[in-house]
Amino acid sequence: MRFFRRLRYWLQASRHQEDLSEELEFHRAMLNDAPSMGNTTRAREDARAVWIWPWLESVGQDVRYALRNLRAHPGFAGVAILALGCAIGLNTSLFTVFNAIAIRPWPVADAGRVVNIFALDDHFRRSGFSLEEFRYLGAHSKTLSGALAMRDEQSFRLEDGKALASWVSGGYFSTLGIGMQRGRGFRADEDTVDAPQPVVVVSYGFWQNHLGADPNTVGKQLRIEDTPFTVVGITGSGFSGTSAHVVDLYLPISAAPILQPRAAWMKDFLHSPDYCCTKMAGRLAPGVTRAQAEAELAVLHQQFRGQFHQEAHGIRLTGTAYLTTGKSDKILPVFAIMLLAVMLVLVLACANVGNLLLARAAARHREISVRLSLGASRGRVVRQLLTESMVLACAAGALGAAAAWWLPALVFRYAVTETLSFRMVPDTVVLAYALALSVATCVIFGLAPSFHATRVGGLARRFSLRSILLTAQVALSVMLLVGAGLMTRAVQRARMQDPGFTISGISIAQFDLPANSYDAPRTRAFFSQLSSDLSGQPVALTRLAPLGGGQNWTNIRLPGDIEKEGKLVGVQEVNRGYFDVLQIPLVKGRTLEDADGDRPVVLVNEALARRFFNGDALGKSVVAGKPYVPREIVGVVKDAYTSSLDEITLTLYFPISGDSIPMALYRATPGTADAIAAVARNIDARTVTTFRPLSDNLDKYLQGSRAGAAIAEALGGFALALATIGMFGVFAYCVQQRTKEIGIRVALGARPAQVIRLVLGSSSRAVLIGLLLGFAGAAGLSQLMRGLLYGLSPHDPLSYAMVALALASAGLVATFLPARRAANIDPVNALRCE
Amino acid sequence: MGTDKSSELLPGTLDLLVLQTIARGRMHGYGIAQHLKMLSEDVLQVGESSLYPALQRLLLNGYVEAEWGISENNRRARYYSLTAAGKKQLSTERKEFDRMVLAIQKVLA
Repeated sequence: MRFFRRLRYWLQASRHQEDLSEELEFHRAMLNDAPSMGNTTRAREDARAVWIWPWLESVGQDVRYALRNLRAHPGFAGVAILALGCAIGLNTSLFTVFNAIAIRPWPVADAGRVVNIFALDDHFRRSGFSLEEFRYLGAHSKTLSGALAMRDEQSFRLEDGKALASWVSGGYFSTLGIGMQRGRGFRADEDTVDAPQPVVVVSYGFWQNHLGADPNTVGKQLRIEDTPFTVVGITGSGFSGTSAHVVDLYLPISAAPILQPRAAWMKDFLHSPDYCCTKMAGRLAPGVTRAQAEAELAVLHQQFRGQFHQEAHGIRLTGTAYLTTGKSDKILPVFAIMLLAVMLVLVLACANVGNLLLARAAARHREISVRLSLGASRGRVVRQLLTESMVLACAAGALGAAAAWWLPALVFRYAVTETLSFRMVPDTVVLAYALALSVATCVIFGLAPSFHATRVGGLARRFSLRSILLTAQVALSVMLLVGAGLMTRAVQRARMQDPGFTISGISIAQFDLPANSYDAPRTRAFFSQLSSDLSGQPVALTRLAPLGGGQNWTNIRLPGDIEKEGKLVGVQEVNRGYFDVLQIPLVKGRTLEDADGDRPVVLVNEALARRFFNGDALGKSVVAGKPYVPREIVGVVKDAYTSSLDEITLTLYFPISGDSIPMALYRATPGTADAIAAVARNIDARTVTTFRPLSDNLDKYLQGSRAGAAIAEALGGFALALATIGMFGVFAYCVQQRTKEIGIRVALGARPAQVIRLVLGSSSRAVLIGLLLGFAGAAGLSQLMRGLLYGLSPHDPLSYAMVALALASAGLVATFLPARRAANIDPVNALRCE
Repeated sequence: MGTDKSSELLPGTLDLLVLQTIARGRMHGYGIAQHLKMLSEDVLQVGESSLYPALQRLLLNGYVEAEWGISENNRRARYYSLTAAGKKQLSTERKEFDRMVLAIQKVLA
């Protein structure tokens, strides 16, 4: 209670002081000419002092003393602040990223009341709704004050370039309360299936970068896929979207048929009650809790599905942070590993600075003894020393928080190819985290040394704490270095290994056609024309380029099996040229032929043949694909890492059909690209053909890991530097402490080699133990990294050997100067200096 | 974090006297001083430099509360009154004081 009264007093300090002054003035006036009883100023000061925390003043004193002390030792302060600052900066940066994708909700008004709404499927996984059901839920729910639907973003052609568009329902802008720069969001009547409206809202960024911030944009026309859309609004600059991607345009969901009138799925999408998966979100009505809304929506969900005799498995409401949308199982493990790494760095930095503080405490032994013998309590001296640590930690925390402003954005620019909409900037949550971290580090690295320093006598004990800290430093840096070594080797190996198909010299051609004029028959016609025109040349047609980041899957079972559904295997739709161009050899049987188009035949890779037929697959049948019918295996090809470098995917190769526009792979020789583009233009003059080398896919595929390896290397290098400083400190200190002893030994005839052995002996055991502990820890923890190593063993001996070598060289560097000084000690000087 | 004690009277007694004074009704600082002086027949002359720190201490401990009002001569003055916690504290301190005085008398007798 007193605490809060004090706090309230200081929060309104000036008002309280005015009160006091006026009160004293009144008192004075009443006294009139009666003799004054004391000094008014003193009365005011004393009265005010009642409210000061008694310990606060001496803390101020301690801080001033600590600052003076650190300024007197800039080298020590610099190393300590830099080491801790980097470590805190790394932690805070990671947390900034985590905050942006896992904690921070959508950038909308009163975001805490906005929820993502998921239907649960029969495995209780989160999924979306049909558009029809969304409308039903939105219309009948009383616990939601507004509902909105979104479909995955789609890229569309503009007159110049492309734009990413998000399909949203009419309630999107009003429900979320998105501030507009100009114009307005959609009205409900602009999103009706019966009367779709060609209207568009552009994002602030698109308006700035693409429309030149034209103040008269609203009301103008924007041609999307050659269809004019009217711009009705521009989103405010503070709205970065509700998806991970940077969205340029917002279109009403009902306008989909305007852009893709011939798409086969359109009718189902707009009307079918079971056409999955539109994302749904809503704003809770005032006073309604999540649980209440969840219960009500579950009932409505049941009612809706019941009308169509479908099962309902419940509704789940979540917040709107990015990770709640179900990507967490892929991202969180990576975060866990990185968190572990930066935490190790932090502990390492703490051990390092703790050791530096110990050395300083030893140098201040006399000062501390004097203070203790003059009557300072041990607690008081510990507090003084802790204050010094706190000052260091706060400076480091400020440095770390500053790093968090630019480091995450920098790393993301390097590591991620596409621009993401997350704002990687610290907010109060992040700053609170940095502060908490600073205080925690201060306690970790400051407490033990302070208690040690105030223990009178007992130098021997101090040595053992030094050794423990040294061992910890070495062990931690070894673990980080092993992690870095494994990542580096894994990426290198993935780059070097034979993927089982040709990458270099192969290019990808992609055909872009106006989406709104291609329906199924037209697409098929384009495909067969393209296929026959290119049949003379070695050109591969496929749906998916190798390592393109996608993979189609199909159920497969053997004709005799009674199971309804079988095992999931990868499926590739290709023509015969695919195997020629990528040089994937045929092992048995025949390859695909152009005439195979509609025949129920497939090729399989060796892995699939082994898994299902003990390697003898030729002539057998599998049930797979659409339609789900038996298909004869006419050939077996060699395994190739086309979908992932980690492992061979069991793969079925279907003859490619004309259901959609394929892409082409070809050996890049002069003129081929032009010839392919010309063929496509001959079929439809509007075709835009783009080319890129297949090696782009490999680079993109490895980019995340390569960035991961670079981060790991940076952490490892930092750890090695800290360990080197740590070792140097301990050895140098050891030589300084034992100067006299060494002098006597030299005077008694010890040779330099013996002296050096003496100096190194005690501490090198700590280093060795640290190395072994580090290896043991790394062997355990690296199991967690298995998924990131492209099949490299977490116990890869070469990585461990490299680490041992790196540490040995660091040790050599760290001991060189102290050892030379020890060897050069002049006995006469050494003995005289006391 | 002990409460500061006044040094002019018997330790702690100023707080007790102030509490006792305003227990009869709300009163401003000057009034409290006058009241003490009058009742003690000029023996207890409490100056600003001990009275106002004492009042602030009582505020801090939550024994009294203060509000602005108009004085008998039509000036703005700050009036203090006892809180529930203050009443309790007054009776505890009184008992403690009586016990102390009794003890001292026994020694001096």
